[in-house]
Amino acid sequence: MLILSLFWLLIGLLIGALANAAKLRPVAWVRGGRLRMLGLGALLALLGGWLGTLLLGTLFATASATCIAVLGVALLPRLIVWSNSWLHTRSSVS
Amino acid sequence: MDDKQPSTRQKIDPGSAKARPKRTLKLGQRAAQAALAFLLCAGGFLSLFPLGRAITRSTLLLPALISVSEPAPLVLAGDPVRFRRITISSSIGPVFLDIYEPATPPPPIPGGREAIITLVGAGDNRNVPQFLNLAQTFAREGVVVVNVGTPALFQYKVSARDGEAVVQAFELLEHWPGVDPHHIGILSFSVGDLLASVAAADPRIRDRVAFLAIIGGYFDVTSLLRTVGRRVQDVDGQAQPWHPISTDLYTLASSVSSLLSPTENKLLQKAFPLNSFAPPLTAQQQAQLSPGTAAFYHLLEGDEPGSVDHNLAALSPQMKALLIQLSSMSVIDQIRAPIHLLHDRNDSSIPFTQAQEFAAALARIHRPYDLAAYSIFSHVQVRSNLGLGQLLSDGTKLFQAINSIMLVGS
Repeated sequence: MLILSLFWLLIGLLIGALANAAKLRPVAWVRGGRLRMLGLGALLALLGGWLGTLLLGTLFATASATCIAVLGVALLPRLIVWSNSWLHTRSSVS
Repeated sequence: MDDKQPSTRQKIDPGSAKARPKRTLKLGQRAAQAALAFLLCAGGFLSLFPLGRAITRSTLLLPALISVSEPAPLVLAGDPVRFRRITISSSIGPVFLDIYEPATPPPPIPGGREAIITLVGAGDNRNVPQFLNLAQTFAREGVVVVNVGTPALFQYKVSARDGEAVVQAFELLEHWPGVDPHHIGILSFSVGDLLASVAAADPRIRDRVAFLAIIGGYFDVTSLLRTVGRRVQDVDGQAQPWHPISTDLYTLASSVSSLLSPTENKLLQKAFPLNSFAPPLTAQQQAQLSPGTAAFYHLLEGDEPGSVDHNLAALSPQMKALLIQLSSMSVIDQIRAPIHLLHDRNDSSIPFTQAQEFAAALARIHRPYDLAAYSIFSHVQVRSNLGLGQLLSDGTKLFQAINSIMLVGS
């Protein structure tokens, strides 16, 4: 499982790099944004791989890791930015 | 979303040198987006959809079959395999089961595991490397494989009664931990197809057999004897020379031994040894055979190719009845499971025409089946040193056959 986990991390890094190239990085992530996308991709791929292992078995975990990492790098940054701005608005209103 | 995206308000001549890097940048962005979309779809399809999971399994299984070794990705990502050999008792005597199963519990999706009962032909072929590789590869992919052996089969005797062993194995698997009782199929090699067909037609289990896959099997012993006797097979209306291997003759002689006298058995064993071709019986020895057995001898020996029909007619009524019993033909109308027929066109053990006859009979009674003709097998084993053309054409067909088998439990 260690080798598989490392493999998923590598896949996640590649997906993070692709997300950077696809300009999925939020405007707000100015400093260290590229690194953050790489880290997010790696983390999500690792989580996706383990989730895939638990639900589908190790044979399908790599496909699951890929799928979850891509979904994550596409959606999570927007969600984080949106929730940050929502919290900011709420705190300034109160 | 990127903060460094160029402003589209600036007026730049599209053909200018300044515009070119930006266009390349845009192209790179689009390519990355397309790659991510592809990865998302591929990952989702291969993990979440049954067809995708079957394709994943087949993609890993195919190279294992062709190269006769487990590919590294499968060893890395597959389940560890647990092996055990057990013996169960049945009405036909002991049944020897070799069980290859994943050592991990089944994942929640799709739930229970697929199980495949295998029959590896006449003789004790349990330790043949290609079979071991196949069983272990299946098990790594999460499939429970149970190979069934019987004392008769180990002695090269084909018997319809041994179908009981497969039924027993099927019923055992239905209660096996982790196995989905609706996802149990049968995969037979060579003469194992009789046992597989008899079991798949058995009223106790026939409605629950998920599939029946037959590799290099036979359909009708009488027509097989006709081909053996003539040393010619008719493929698509064309007569082609065909010569049986010694194991065929030995198995045929052994399978009818219960009807013969001890002297006749001894003479036939002498005429048709297991691993070699012996000289023909002398006229004096032939005179010791009854007319029916002499006709059977000439069919196996192939020394009267012009009198094949006459020799078939001269077989004793008991032998004719036994030959019908020993043919899958006698039970196909009772089989409910879809049948996959795989056969090599140049099979020297069981002629390809047997698979064609099987398919034609299934078509006549409107049963679901598919027939794939190959040129990569040496009877039931994949040949080595295959050309790229053969691998591409036959590999595709083999992939489709494997995929329909793997889809059952995906």
